[in-house]
Amino acid sequence: MIALPAPGPRLRAVLPLLVLLGLIVALAVAVPNLASPATLLLLLADTATLFVLAAGLSFVIVLGSIDLGVPATASLAGVVTALLLPGWGTWAFPAALGMGLLMGTVTGLVHVGLRVPSFIASLAAGGVTGGLTLWLSDAQAVTIGQQDRARLDWVAGETVGLPHIVGVAMAALLLGWGLQRLTPFGRFSLAIGASEAATTASGVRVGRHKVLAFALAGLFAALAGIMLAARLTSGSPTGASQLLLPAIAAVIVGGTAITGGTGGVVPTAVGALTVSVARLGMTFLGVDAFAQQILFGVILVSAVAITTDRASVVATK
Amino acid sequence: MTAAAGESAAPPGRLARVPWRAMAPLLVLAGLCLVLGLVAPNFATTGNFGRIATSAAVPAVLTIGATLVILMGGIDLSIEGAMAVAAVAAALVVVAVPGPWGAVAGAAAALATGAALGATSGLLHVGLRAPSFMITLGMWFIGLGLAIWLVGGGTVSVRDSELRSLALVRIGGLPLSVWVALGAVLLAWVVQSRTRFGRALYAIGGGEDLAVQSGVPVGRVKIMAFALAGLCYGLGAVLAVAQLGQGNAEIGEGRLFAAVSAAVVGGTSLLGGHGGVLHSLVGVIIVVVLSNGMILLGVPPYLQQAVQGLLIIIAVAVSLDRRGQGLVK
Amino acid sequence: MLIGENLRKSYGNVEALRGVSLEVRPGEVVGLVGENGAGKSTLMRLLAGTQRPTGGRILRDGQPVTLASPRDANALGIAMVFQEQSLIPNLSVAENLFLGQDRGFVRSGLIDRRAMREAALRHLAKVGLDVNPGRRAGELSFAQRQMVELAKALALEDRVERDLVILLDEPTSVLEQAEIDLLFARVRALRSRASFIFVSHRLDEVLAISDRVYVMRDGAMVAEAQASEMTPTELHRMMVGRGVRTEYYLESRQAPPREEVALSVRGLGKRKAFQDVSFDLHQGEVLGLAGVIGSGREDLIRILFGFERPDAGRMDIGGRVYAPRSPAEAVARGLGFVPSERRTEGLVMTLPLGANITLARIRAAMAPWGLSRRRERALAREWIDRLAIRAPSPDTPCRHLSGGNQQKVVLAKWRTAGSRLLILDHPTRGIDVGAKEEVFRLVRDLSDEGVAILLVADTLEETIGLSHRMLVMRDGVVSAELPAPAGGKPDQVRVVEHMV
Repeated sequence: MIALPAPGPRLRAVLPLLVLLGLIVALAVAVPNLASPATLLLLLADTATLFVLAAGLSFVIVLGSIDLGVPATASLAGVVTALLLPGWGTWAFPAALGMGLLMGTVTGLVHVGLRVPSFIASLAAGGVTGGLTLWLSDAQAVTIGQQDRARLDWVAGETVGLPHIVGVAMAALLLGWGLQRLTPFGRFSLAIGASEAATTASGVRVGRHKVLAFALAGLFAALAGIMLAARLTSGSPTGASQLLLPAIAAVIVGGTAITGGTGGVVPTAVGALTVSVARLGMTFLGVDAFAQQILFGVILVSAVAITTDRASVVATK
Repeated sequence: MTAAAGESAAPPGRLARVPWRAMAPLLVLAGLCLVLGLVAPNFATTGNFGRIATSAAVPAVLTIGATLVILMGGIDLSIEGAMAVAAVAAALVVVAVPGPWGAVAGAAAALATGAALGATSGLLHVGLRAPSFMITLGMWFIGLGLAIWLVGGGTVSVRDSELRSLALVRIGGLPLSVWVALGAVLLAWVVQSRTRFGRALYAIGGGEDLAVQSGVPVGRVKIMAFALAGLCYGLGAVLAVAQLGQGNAEIGEGRLFAAVSAAVVGGTSLLGGHGGVLHSLVGVIIVVVLSNGMILLGVPPYLQQAVQGLLIIIAVAVSLDRRGQGLVK
Repeated sequence: MLIGENLRKSYGNVEALRGVSLEVRPGEVVGLVGENGAGKSTLMRLLAGTQRPTGGRILRDGQPVTLASPRDANALGIAMVFQEQSLIPNLSVAENLFLGQDRGFVRSGLIDRRAMREAALRHLAKVGLDVNPGRRAGELSFAQRQMVELAKALALEDRVERDLVILLDEPTSVLEQAEIDLLFARVRALRSRASFIFVSHRLDEVLAISDRVYVMRDGAMVAEAQASEMTPTELHRMMVGRGVRTEYYLESRQAPPREEVALSVRGLGKRKAFQDVSFDLHQGEVLGLAGVIGSGREDLIRILFGFERPDAGRMDIGGRVYAPRSPAEAVARGLGFVPSERRTEGLVMTLPLGANITLARIRAAMAPWGLSRRRERALAREWIDRLAIRAPSPDTPCRHLSGGNQQKVVLAKWRTAGSRLLILDHPTRGIDVGAKEEVFRLVRDLSDEGVAILLVADTLEETIGLSHRMLVMRDGVVSAELPAPAGGKPDQVRVVEHMV
C-alpha cells in the first residue's frame, strides 16, 4: 500500500487556496500579459457557469453521496429556457429552474425512498432527464432568437464593464453559503456526511435533508444550464455533459472530501477557480484540449487521494 | 455483511423450493419475448433473433468485464474510456501493420491497452484506498482523453482489414463476433466458478473483512479483477471496431449505462457477492431485446433512454429491497 | 499447551485487562466466566490474535509467541468460534470452511470441487453436522452455522501439527436446548484432538462442560477452581465480589419517583426478539432492564426509540398513542437515547462539542439570522462547566475527548433537547471509574428533575444500584419485576435466578 502522507486538518483547509494562489502566480510569471484586470474578469466569467454547477454538486457530495445527473439537468434547463423564451418571456427562467428542482427531487426520492445508491439513482435519473431533453429539443440545439436575447441580459449582459454572469455566480455563492452556514440544513448535511448513524440517532430527519440536498443540486444545475444557454444563445441537449468531470474536480480540489462531512460551497469556489486557472494556463502553454482531459483525470484521482479521510474509510469499495 | 441472527432455514414447501427470486430475470426475459412476439411485427423471426444476437455481442463482453468488478462490491465507470482508447489503439495498429497480421496485432493492442488501463484502476483503488467509482471515473476521462489525443479527434478506418471478418464472416448464420462473445462468456464463467480468483471475488463481495482475516489476498484479487475487466473492454472494442469498420473515441459512448443496467437487471447485485456472469448475460439479452422491441415498435430514441433509466431504477430497487438495513450512500 | 502470562490490555486510558494469567492443558475444557466488562471478551481476543496485548505474553507449547492477526493464531492451532457469526453468507459451506485455504484443491488451474466437497464432508462429520457442503452458508440455521464454524476451527488439524485450542465465545446464547446438548456432546467427543476455552454467562452450563473454571472480575483473574467443586451460586459470588457499595451508586439520593406515567407499554412484541412486554415508566423513575445476551432487552429499547417497528402491542405517552417510525419521531415526543456504540451512534466525532450538543435541538443554536456559532460555543462552555467536561476548548472535535467526557457531551445533548424520557444503553461502557461516578451523579440529577430513565446497564450491580425498579428479561419475556428501593436492594443472586 502506498503510504501517502495525509496533511493535517489545518493545512488541508488552506491547501486549496495556496494551490490556487500558487497557480495564479506561476501563470502571471510565465505569461506576463495575462496578469491584467481584463483577463481576471474573463477568468471569472468563464468560471461562473462551472462554479454554479459545482456548487450544486457540493450539497450532495457533503452528504457523502454523488449526483451524476447534474449535467443532464443543466442541459434540460437550457433547452427549456430556449423553448419557452419566445412564448413565456421571463417566465421561462422560473420554469427552467423549477424543472431542475423537480429532477433533483426525483433523484433524491429514488435514492432515499427506494434505497438505491446515489450514483445509480443519479445516473438513471440523468438518463431519464436526457431522454426528456432529447424529446423536447428534437435532438438538436434550440437557438434563442434575436428578439429574445434581450431577456438574457441579466445573465449575459454587462454593467460598467462587469459581466452580469459573475454577479449571478456571486449570488449563487451567497445563497449557497447562507444555506450551508446559517441553516439547520447546512449543519445536518455536514453531520450526515460525517456520521449518518449518529445523526439519525439524534433525531434528525435524515431522509428529508438528503432529498433537499439533491433538489438543491438540481436547482443549481438548472441555473448553470440557463447561464450556459445564455452564453451560447442556444439550448443544447448535450452542452453541459462536458462539465461533469471539471465540476467534480472543482469540488474535490477545493477541499470537499469525497467521503463527505466537510467542505461546501465556498471551498468549491476556490476549486472552480483553480480548475479554470489550470485550464487557462494549459491553453496558453499550448497543451491541447485532449491532453487537458487526461490531466483532469489525473488531478481528480490525486485530489481524491489527498482529501479522503483515510482514517474513516474501513473497507473501500 | 453479517447474517441476521436467529434465522432458521424454514421448512420448504414444494412451491417454495423453486428459486423464484433467482429465476426472476429469466422469467422477465421470457415474458418480454412473449409480449413482443405478440405485439411487434417481425420480432419472432430467425432474422431478428440473429440481429439480436449480433447486437448483444459487444454489450455482453463489456458487461462481463463490469460484472467481475461488481461482484466484489465495486463499480467500474471507466468502460467507455477504456473501450475508446483500446479501439483507437486497435485501429491504428491495424492500419500500421500490413496484411492479416495487422488484424492480429490490432486485436492484441486493444486487449493490452484495455488490460493496462484496468490494471491502473485497480492499482490506484487498492494503493490509494480510494473508492472505486472515483478512481474509475477519473480513468474514464483519462482513457477518453488518450483516445482523442491519439486519433486527433477523427476516426481511423479499417474497412479493408481482415479484422472485419469478425463481423462479416458467419458461422451457423451468426457473425464470428457472436461466437467470440459466447466464448468469452464461457471462459468468464469458468473463471468465476472454478478458480480461486473467481471465488475470491464472491468472498470479497460478501464479507471483505472476513476474507482479509482468513488470508484471501484481497489486494491482488482486486487488481486482477480490474485488469481482467479492462481486458474485456478491450475485447469489446475489437468487436465494435470490426462491426463499425472504424475506430474512434466515440465508440464507447453510452455503453456504461447499458452495461451496468444489464448487470443489475440480470440479478448481479451492486452490493456484491451475488449474481455473476450468466446472470449478467441474461440481463444483456433483456436490455438488447427491449431495445430491439422498441425499435420494431417505432419508439423514438429519447424515450428509449428514459425507459432504460426507469428499468435500471426498478431493477436496483427491487433487488436491493431485501438486503437489509445497511447504509446507502 | 497455551498459557497467557500476566496479560494486560488498555484502550486509551481504560484498562480492560490488568495482568491476567491462565493456562489451558491438553484435552481439557476450561470455563471462563465473569460479568460484562470483566474482560472475558478482551482476553479471548488476545488469545485469538484479533488484538495485541499491551503487556504480558502468550506462550504456546512453552514458546512465547506474538499473534499479530487471526492468521498467526490459526497457524499455531488456535481458533475462535465467534459470538457474532463470521461466515460469508453468500458462499457455500465448503467455501467457508476453506476460505483462504483452498490452494490445496487446485488441479491445473481449476478448483477440484469434488475433492473440496469430500474434504468438507469429512470435517463436517467431525462435528456431526449433516448438511450439503454446497449449500449457501446464509441458508443454514444459527446452530448449524455455529457447527460449521466449529468444523472450520477443527479443520486446522490438517494444517497444523499441534493439538488445537478452540475458543468458544458465548456459543449457547442463541441456541435451543436440544442444540446445546448436541454442542456439548460434540465438545466432549472432540477432547482427544483439542482443548477448549468456553466462555458463557450460563453458569450451570459452564460447570457442566468444563474441567476447570476461571473467574474474572474488573479486568483481573480472581479465582480458579475445579468445576466439580463449584456451584453456580459460588461462582456468581466470586464474579460479583464485595457487597453492593451503596454510596458508589449514590443510593442515598434515590428519591421516590413521581406518580405521573411517562411511558406506558402494553403487550409489546417483536418476532424473534421478545414478546408480551408490558410496563409503566414513571417520571423521575429509573427502571432497570436486566438480562443476558438474547434476553431481548437491547432489541426492546431500540424499538422504544423508533429504530424499528414492533410486530405487536401498543405504547402511550401522555395519554396519546406513541408509535415512532423513526428516531426523529421519538425525539419529537421527548425521548432521548444514549447509545452503547458511542463512537458511531452517540456523537458525530469529527464535529466539535457545540455542534453535537445542539444536534438534537438545533433551535438552541439559532439566532434570528440563522445558525449562530457564537451561541453554540457559549452553550458548549456552559455545559463544560456544569458537567465538568475536560476539553481543551469548545471547538475541539469530539474524537479527541476521552470516553467519559464524550459521554457527558451526549448527555448534554439530550438535556439541551429537553428530553423527558431518556434511554441509557450501557452508559458506562468504556469509561474510567471516575467518569462512571459522575455519570451516576447525573442520573440522580435527572431523576430529581423528573426525567424518566430506562436503563440497560453493563453490570447487574449497576442495574440494581441505580434503579428504583427492575424488569428482568429472559429469552424474550419478562421473567420478573423486582422493586429496588433505597435501603432495600435485592440480592444479586436472587436476580440472576430470573436471568438465566
